[in-house]
Amino acid sequence: MTALSQLRDLPGVSSGALRNLAPPALLVFLVGFIALFVPSFLSVQTLTMVLADTAVLFILATGETFVILLGGVDLSIQALASLASVIVAQLLPSLGLGAFPVAIATGLVFGIASGIVHVGLRVPSFVATLASGGVVAGLALLAAHGRAITIEESGRGYTEWINATTWGVPNVVAIAVLVGVAGFFILRYTRFGRFSVAVGAGEPAALAAGVNVNRTKITGFAISGTLAALAGVILAARLSSGSPSLANQLLLPAIAAVIVGGTAITGGLGNVGRTAIGALIISVVRIGMTFVGVNIFAENIVFGAMLIAAVAITIDRSKIAIIK
Amino acid sequence: MTLHSEQAEFPPQSRNAVGAPRRPSLAAWKTTAARRMRAFAPVFVLVALCILIAIANPNFIELRNLIRIANAAAVPLTLAMGTTFVILMGSIDLSAEGAVAIAATTLVLLAANDSNASNFGWWAVLAAVCASGFMGFLSGNIQTGLRIPSFMATLGVWFIGLGVSTYLLGGSAVRLMDPALRGLALTRFLELPLSVWIALAALAVAIFIQYFTRLGLHIVAIGGGEDLAELSGVNPRRVRIAAFTIAGLFYGVAGVLAAAQLGQSNSVIGDGRLFAAITAVVVGGTALTGGEGGVINTLVGVLIVTVLGNGMVLLGISPYIQQTVQGLMIIAAVASSLDRLRLKIVK
Repeated sequence: MTALSQLRDLPGVSSGALRNLAPPALLVFLVGFIALFVPSFLSVQTLTMVLADTAVLFILATGETFVILLGGVDLSIQALASLASVIVAQLLPSLGLGAFPVAIATGLVFGIASGIVHVGLRVPSFVATLASGGVVAGLALLAAHGRAITIEESGRGYTEWINATTWGVPNVVAIAVLVGVAGFFILRYTRFGRFSVAVGAGEPAALAAGVNVNRTKITGFAISGTLAALAGVILAARLSSGSPSLANQLLLPAIAAVIVGGTAITGGLGNVGRTAIGALIISVVRIGMTFVGVNIFAENIVFGAMLIAAVAITIDRSKIAIIK
Repeated sequence: MTLHSEQAEFPPQSRNAVGAPRRPSLAAWKTTAARRMRAFAPVFVLVALCILIAIANPNFIELRNLIRIANAAAVPLTLAMGTTFVILMGSIDLSAEGAVAIAATTLVLLAANDSNASNFGWWAVLAAVCASGFMGFLSGNIQTGLRIPSFMATLGVWFIGLGVSTYLLGGSAVRLMDPALRGLALTRFLELPLSVWIALAALAVAIFIQYFTRLGLHIVAIGGGEDLAELSGVNPRRVRIAAFTIAGLFYGVAGVLAAAQLGQSNSVIGDGRLFAAITAVVVGGTALTGGEGGVINTLVGVLIVTVLGNGMVLLGISPYIQQTVQGLMIIAAVASSLDRLRLKIVK
């Protein structure tokens, strides 16, 4: 086609250097740019706040990373997070701390269900999860009777472990780091992790090598669902409320975080570390826009454009014969 | 045995021959008879649904309720016409909600409204449809120019549209004050609101495009097998951009109707509409793999979704569960209609 796209198709031009170095460089540049305008941005206090604000996005994006690495996509994470927030807000008064495992287990169950629909019925993942996201969104509306549920004073004691600060570090940051480290190790050092990358890199080859592709995929969706629910729980605790549309605005930023970090939408290439950088970029851009004076209502324009640009740069076109 | 002999008469199409060998027992399932049954399955579902609901609650077949159904189907039908063309190509368009938001916002901001002094009347309608058409044009160019999958391109355009719309509205709702434009939803002709007639006109245009133009033929050809279509002289890039633009124009009309019905535009005017449109297309029997189905299928699909929604209200089922039912319908329809023999790897 055009000369530009031919250039991009040359091996080595985009795949290696750009994908590995661009995201961290972009992050450093963005932070430096904002620090020029607002020197106080580099204070420990502000940076801690940025990290705390990124935590939920990062946890969502980590789950999404597992699915995208497999070459699929999960469009149900925002619905699962919202449902989890509703469950926590509703069950905290009666179950206390027991509400958290219930909410997170719900995410696990629906994640597995999405995976089974995807591999069992052989429905493409974006349709399977669009549909399961609709199912979940309907259930969340039903459970909450269409309203937002406030976590009352009596229930707030139970959310303390999320909202508190330990040794100057907000607990949400600690939780996000735990999730990130666990995700990193699962992908790099477990059999499931290696299988995931193999399936994403080349499904026929993985199948021929004896990898149980179906089980690997279902596990990926299960992790995505579980982490989505965890993110929803944390969001509910931070906002002291649960609502069936609480996380609706987080789907695009979460996918964008994964892709901007340098994980290819075609699968097989990427890791949780990249997603951490991607999530930070998204957060810093969001904060930066307010500093530079871009209207906050326009943030979706920026994220949409970033998503398209990042997909165009990171995608591995040799894997798709016809781009549909 | 008969199945096997029939299978011999209809050898696998060439596009299937690339992958691993097909098992005859599975191939037999895809005989013409089965195909014909499958093509009419959505109609059976619709008829059965109508009968069941009518038995459970006779109010269903009252004229007043049928008009209510027609009115509720107007916007989804117009939207789904656009989505159909994109899905026929084997692509997907997730930008419907963003395009509706753009069209509705353009309309209310250019027509008489309670936020600024403009009063362009019907020119506002034209501008709204064009704005949404431009979003489609953008999607088509992003997909073909940057060569990225359509669901990612349109996911980005969805949020760009939503962002532009929220930005223009400043996060608030703006009311539409032009009586003539409000009349699109309020004025009735032969008992039906004008919006229903406009939706029917959109359907007629869509039927014309699909069955009587070269573009319609090319869209189906690309969905059936892009490599073959290209070798036969179809310019896939131009057809793709045209299809996304047409989809955008239909979304624009739907956005105008939605704004007229609501009497305003706000940041959530598109919410849930993408889901309804895709459900309708898929439930109607248009294959996500492309090349199979069409706008008539989508008409049936829209009626199924709308009748079911109406029936649930009549039967006293919580409206909140509607999305859940639609989600399950998508899964059931895709699972039963996907030509999985063509899909060696499902991603």
